[in-house]
Amino acid sequence: MTDYLACALLGSGFFFIVTGALGILRLPDFFTRLHAMGKSDTLGVALMVLGTAVLEGATLNGLKIVLIIFFVGLANPTATHALGRAAYRSGLVPWESPRDTD
Amino acid sequence: MNTFIWALTVGIALTMLVSLYRLLHGPTLWDRLSGLGLVGTKTIVLVLLMGRITGREDIFVDITLSYTLISFIGALALAKYFEGKETGP
Repeated sequence: MTDYLACALLGSGFFFIVTGALGILRLPDFFTRLHAMGKSDTLGVALMVLGTAVLEGATLNGLKIVLIIFFVGLANPTATHALGRAAYRSGLVPWESPRDTD
Repeated sequence: MNTFIWALTVGIALTMLVSLYRLLHGPTLWDRLSGLGLVGTKTIVLVLLMGRITGREDIFVDITLSYTLISFIGALALAKYFEGKETGP
């Protein structure tokens, strides 16, 4: 039962990470790529780390892994926001679709 | 179960290659910085899964915990350093 739960968590986290990688590869502009990096990647990493915590069980290592989830959830959106704000203040112009500018 | 974890490890390594492409080829400096952050984030999962494979979780969990904090501080410091500077196209 625990193995099935861990497999489901690891698989869904891997799905979100692959989606984020696809967005990183295909989206047209830095700010839109930041969109893929900030949300789907954080969720995918948190789900996969939670899957390894379920595999580990209620030990000291499991507690440390839960602490890793907390730090990832705190650090990754903060770093993404800092990068986006720094790029915007440095004069990087956001992308506009050619269909919207006519 | 072990085969599944091996497959996930290989898959994470492949998505790290995509992030590495963004790091090496990205048109602006900010793309390179975000690629660096992506590689760092995926390394966390990779090290945890490697600890699961080798059966030495107690060491690998400590490495992952310190690596998370160090990569967070590094990303914030780099973003603050380049903020407001002229960084090319």
